[in-house]
Amino acid sequence: MNHSIQRELQLPQPRERVWQAIANSTALAQWMYPNDFEPRVGHPFTFRVPANPQVGFDGLTVRCEVLECEPPDRLVFSWCVAGPVANTRVSFRLEPDGSGTRLFFEHSGFDLTQPKGDQAFKGAQYGWAKMLGQLSVVLGELAADEP
Amino acid sequence: MVTSTREHDVFGAISHPARRHMLDLLASADHSVSAITSHFKMSRPAVSQHLRVLLDAGLVSEQRHGRERRYHLVPEPLGPVRDWIAHYERFWDDHLLRLQKHLSQTSEP
Repeated sequence: MNHSIQRELQLPQPRERVWQAIANSTALAQWMYPNDFEPRVGHPFTFRVPANPQVGFDGLTVRCEVLECEPPDRLVFSWCVAGPVANTRVSFRLEPDGSGTRLFFEHSGFDLTQPKGDQAFKGAQYGWAKMLGQLSVVLGELAADEP
Repeated sequence: MVTSTREHDVFGAISHPARRHMLDLLASADHSVSAITSHFKMSRPAVSQHLRVLLDAGLVSEQRHGRERRYHLVPEPLGPVRDWIAHYERFWDDHLLRLQKHLSQTSEP
């Protein structure tokens, strides 16, 4: 029941350019969320998904830590939200592909395992329900943004 | 929050690694309690307790075969779990699309 999400993208931009988009706080704020990312192994940071009272969404903080940072090849950070995504990790691997870049994306570690016994076990149930609801709202908004 | 009590039961049931392992076993074939126990270091009563949680969540059913009970996987209640992962898949598909847009907007000629 372990699960990971994998995607492979072919991008026309060179690797250094793609690296700037994934390993830079300002760029990450453009296509992800406001954050205090720094390209440095061991750096703890957060993505702050903003609240939207209109739809009853009270915001969400994703806690992360840079695990690997090898410009312009590889960026890995942990991805931690309450509940079963507590120990997941997000990785970007960039390979040159002609004048462009092949991007290998993976979000792994959805194993639903809780690290700390009963208390966390109860937290997991709450976490699942909360994330399910909140993500639906966020995704609904994103879909509404599309033309 | 629209998540039902039953969904909470399902998420709770699969949050234990031993129970996930049991579901994996039952996904390949129906098993008796003793056959399941042979795959674990825990006692038979402990295995039975985990099976009870899975039964209560509707993830397995039991049938009598002579003197033993055999357990059978009922995958349908796992739907919400798959939905949840699917939400995350869409989340990343949307954001990777945004990354591509970001790159095409900021690319130098």
